[in-house]
Amino acid sequence: MDDERIERLLRGYGLPETPPALDRRVLARSERIFAWARARETVTGVTREFACAFGFGYINYIVDLVTATDAEYRVDLI
Amino acid sequence: MDRDRERGADMTRGDEAAFAQLYRDYRTRLHQYALSLVREREAAEDAVQDAFLGWVRQVAAGKAPRQSAPYLYASVRNRCLDRLRRRPELSLDDAHVELLAAPAGDEERIGLQHALNRLLLTLPEEQREVVVLRTWHDMEFAAIAALMGTPVNTAIARYHYALAKLRTELDAHG
Repeated sequence: MDDERIERLLRGYGLPETPPALDRRVLARSERIFAWARARETVTGVTREFACAFGFGYINYIVDLVTATDAEYRVDLI
Repeated sequence: MDRDRERGADMTRGDEAAFAQLYRDYRTRLHQYALSLVREREAAEDAVQDAFLGWVRQVAAGKAPRQSAPYLYASVRNRCLDRLRRRPELSLDDAHVELLAAPAGDEERIGLQHALNRLLLTLPEEQREVVVLRTWHDMEFAAIAALMGTPVNTAIARYHYALAKLRTELDAHG
């Protein structure tokens, strides 16, 4: 038996299925993370709008300045 | 890769369907990869789950990795190696995992499946990893070497050593 034949033999096999319980767990937890992220984004947006409406827009500017990381800045440049 | 980037953008906007598709695309391969590394069902599932949820957290924080495949493979690998550092690899007798599945109706492959699975599990970890990635994940040696942090020639050599071992054992089995 040569290498090529062994490769062909191996490639003829498929992969085992993932357990359905794992699928359910990952998808359910990912939904919760996305939902939390959306809620956080909504709260942040409302807070920023209020800050602007009441003349505290500079606070948003300062928050952006402080929270922006070097990594994000570099990615923007690319 | 462009599709990965589009998906990343969709997910940044909270598109769970894009994530579900990404999960469906990679789950089977990553699950087999994790099984081949830790040789233990529960640990492999934990590694796959943590890798995907790590990806989701990054995306939810607006920091989607540029390419999903390299991120997910490296994440699964790191989690499996971390697990092995904390708890040594199971002995072959305790490793009851299937790395391959014979196609229905293919009697020759069905007959060989158990022996072949066992042979794969007996390969040294680094050889088994190359064989799995090369055979079932269609990875180039350069990508395998990058993932494993080795020179390309080392990955190629490990692959050929592994095939030689499999050949010897299969010939001995007749």
